[in-house]
Amino acid sequence: MGDAPIAVQLTGIWKRFPGVIANSDINLSVRRGSVHAIVGENGAGKSTLMKILYGMQKPDEGTITISGTEVIFQSPSDAIDAGIGMVHQHFMLADNLTVLENIILGSEPTQRGVIKNETALTRLTQLAQQYGLDVPFNSFVSELGVGARQRIEILKVLYRGASILILDEPTAVLVPHEVDELFSALSDLKAEGITILFISHKLDEVLAIADDITVIRAGSTVATVNLHTQKVSADDLAEMMVGSELPTPETRGSTVTDKVLIDVSNLSVLTAAGKPLVDDVSFKIHAGEVLGIAGVEGNGQAEIVDALMGVIKSTGVLVYDGEDISKWSTRKRREQGFGFIPEDRMRQGLLLETSLWENRMLGHQTLKPNSNGFLLTPADAKSDTARIVDEYDVRTPNIDVFASALSGGNQQKLIVGREMSSNPKFLLAAHPTRGVDVGAQAAIWDHLRMARQSGLAVLLISADLDELIGLSDTIKVLLRGKFVADADPLTVTPQELGTAMTGVKKRDEIGNTS
Amino acid sequence: MNTKSPSIRIFAFFISAMTLLSIARIFAHTNDLTSRGTMAAAFGLAVPIGLAGLGGLWSERAGIVNIGLEGMMILGTFGAGWAGWQWGPWAGVLGAVTFGMLGAVLFAIVTVSFGVDQIIAGTAINILGLGLAQFLAKLAFSNAPGGGQSQSPPVKGLLPSVTIDFIANPLNTLQQKGWFVISDLAGMISGLFYHLSFLTILTVILFVLTAWILWRTSFGLRLRSAGESPSAAETLGINVIKYKYIAVIISGSLAGLAGAYLAIVGTNVYRGGQTAGRGYIGLATMIFGNWRPMGTGIGATVFGYIDTLQLRDNANIRGLVLFGALVLIALAFLGLRSGVRATSLAFLIIGSALVGGFLASTNMAPEVAQVAPYVTTLLVLATASQRLRPPATAGMAYRKGESR
Repeated sequence: MGDAPIAVQLTGIWKRFPGVIANSDINLSVRRGSVHAIVGENGAGKSTLMKILYGMQKPDEGTITISGTEVIFQSPSDAIDAGIGMVHQHFMLADNLTVLENIILGSEPTQRGVIKNETALTRLTQLAQQYGLDVPFNSFVSELGVGARQRIEILKVLYRGASILILDEPTAVLVPHEVDELFSALSDLKAEGITILFISHKLDEVLAIADDITVIRAGSTVATVNLHTQKVSADDLAEMMVGSELPTPETRGSTVTDKVLIDVSNLSVLTAAGKPLVDDVSFKIHAGEVLGIAGVEGNGQAEIVDALMGVIKSTGVLVYDGEDISKWSTRKRREQGFGFIPEDRMRQGLLLETSLWENRMLGHQTLKPNSNGFLLTPADAKSDTARIVDEYDVRTPNIDVFASALSGGNQQKLIVGREMSSNPKFLLAAHPTRGVDVGAQAAIWDHLRMARQSGLAVLLISADLDELIGLSDTIKVLLRGKFVADADPLTVTPQELGTAMTGVKKRDEIGNTS
Repeated sequence: MNTKSPSIRIFAFFISAMTLLSIARIFAHTNDLTSRGTMAAAFGLAVPIGLAGLGGLWSERAGIVNIGLEGMMILGTFGAGWAGWQWGPWAGVLGAVTFGMLGAVLFAIVTVSFGVDQIIAGTAINILGLGLAQFLAKLAFSNAPGGGQSQSPPVKGLLPSVTIDFIANPLNTLQQKGWFVISDLAGMISGLFYHLSFLTILTVILFVLTAWILWRTSFGLRLRSAGESPSAAETLGINVIKYKYIAVIISGSLAGLAGAYLAIVGTNVYRGGQTAGRGYIGLATMIFGNWRPMGTGIGATVFGYIDTLQLRDNANIRGLVLFGALVLIALAFLGLRSGVRATSLAFLIIGSALVGGFLASTNMAPEVAQVAPYVTTLLVLATASQRLRPPATAGMAYRKGESR
């Protein structure tokens, strides 16, 4: 088992960016037909390393050897030719092209320049069946959910005959049963002799699927563990990654008060065509309570959040601290204590081509310390940004760099820091720790818990069901715009929640099996 | 609605439009509304608009908003006048395409390689195209016999044009009978085969060819991917920059060809201000046509038709106003059925007002009458635009290796 041929060998890889060393002396060898996980904190250099292996960036030093031959990749097409395929964390798909077009793009089967769709379809149908990767080939990608998009990405890579597959944080956007499907597909691929490089910071998932695990810390390879010969626990790995214990999202003791802070009744959001996205939903959140909403993405969570923030049109009554605020503008809601951690930080949370301290002002531009009521006060905003960077451990050279220079997890920490700094009374948190490493995750959880203790009401949406169960006082399951079940976070398991989210279990109390 | 296939829907749309047009013709007592002459002229005016729109389509499909079409078209008219005057109409066509292409190459260097904002660069091309054409015209034509500071001497000879008599003539007779719908269809088809310029035929071929290339070949798929998701395309080893260049250059050649039509077929000289904003209208028809060749073609024909009627009898304008009113009212009823109340009511009110205006005056103020068709078009567009599917990254600068 231990002496299978080596598929990928990286030796002494260095990569420097202005002001940062992304990779320093990376050494890695991956056995053919194995699942090799690479774990590390945000900004540890995992993604840079994979970009180097996929030819998107060139290493400053070091060699790459594929199946015994040393290679130099000028571009991804060289890597593709060498049999390497990559499934990116942010899917690389064109929404307005069909699934088929997305998959064959760049390697179209043609006859005198004309695409032979039938040939491609036959081949793909066979591939899809072989690995259980079912997708509707003639639909537009814009019509499909994340699970299907990921299957498309994997098919895309397999279609090109890749024998080495790089998956960058593949489970970040999936619900539990989709993760199971992905893992069973990965097992099939492994059985066919395909080598899989699996980047993640979800340690229990890594332990479930990987054959070997390499830990990267601060740009260097710290250790490689063979799971067949060595025993290692999630805590051991976490310690190797950050030098600290694995945190849990558990909240201790209830802080729910009897003061209703948010009272939503009959909230509905319709599409332009009149189809309900959120269908007559009512709920209450008390001060000091965290209401968790569980659901597969695209079942109305985003619309509920947007409606409560007042950025999309909705019907229904929203009472905040005893006052009907349905007609309030988003600005006024913000000023009166609404905090907002958006689901898509690149789209709603940050201006990427803008400095960190200017991003600190966003959404709070009328409040201290960003403004004196008439003019902006950049000096105060800057010193407050420095405080956030410090308190929330945002890894950045300084506060004048563009937000785009930060890794995803660090961007998220900046947003959470910004929103908590205005002492909100009501926080809308969509995936507050998405893409954040274990250390920072613990810090964010701590901040949320502290705020909750002092009476913060939170509407929490998360695809991470452990987080949802651990932080929430109440959980409601959302399916096709309606609440279909309530769950008790003290007793419910992620599996039960996952089942309810996909609509297998109908309207009843889940988690109370006793 | 959604269950029907697109071709059936287009056919239904076409027949309903013809029916309304026929009703308008009968009530306005103007057979000229759908006569062969009107239709032939409409197709003629549609050609430069359609070519410009097709040019816009090529570049936008690769993610570049080409607002510089107007400037490239002006360069085209100069190229056509200058080369056509010296070496005949065929050379004129070649000259126009070359000049349009030169404008496009400049535009591509600035927008694709240097990532300059496409609207600003396009506007600059428009100003530059206009100024350069005026300057070159002064140099080339001032002392030429039959030319002037802003006008070239006539192009030597004509491009061939065809009339297919055995189709055009019997249909023309049928049109003159004034039968409901049938005569209107006959007039329209007859117009298609009457005094057909070589460039008009070429335009139709180019439309079909564009649809085929962009949606059937691997070249087309790659070009479209550069406009939909350049970062995805790049990770699959596609040279995004190359495809953007190709698309913009094709776009400029088509704009140049539109200029050739104006200078060689429309008139037979280059004249300053000849394009009269058709580049912009072309861009609008492309949006009207949902970034697709078929839709762009239909849009160009509609604009060409409106243009034609304004050049002809005033009675036609009345007919057109009535037609617009009927379209709005028909849309209002369709809208009411599917529950879009506010817009539908607005349509109903404007439509009824237009009908009132039509009944109240036998000789409409030409200014009012002339804007009515455009108002109608705008209103129709305002409702249609909710379902548009533009290329995802049109207008955005792309730098190589930007994919994150």
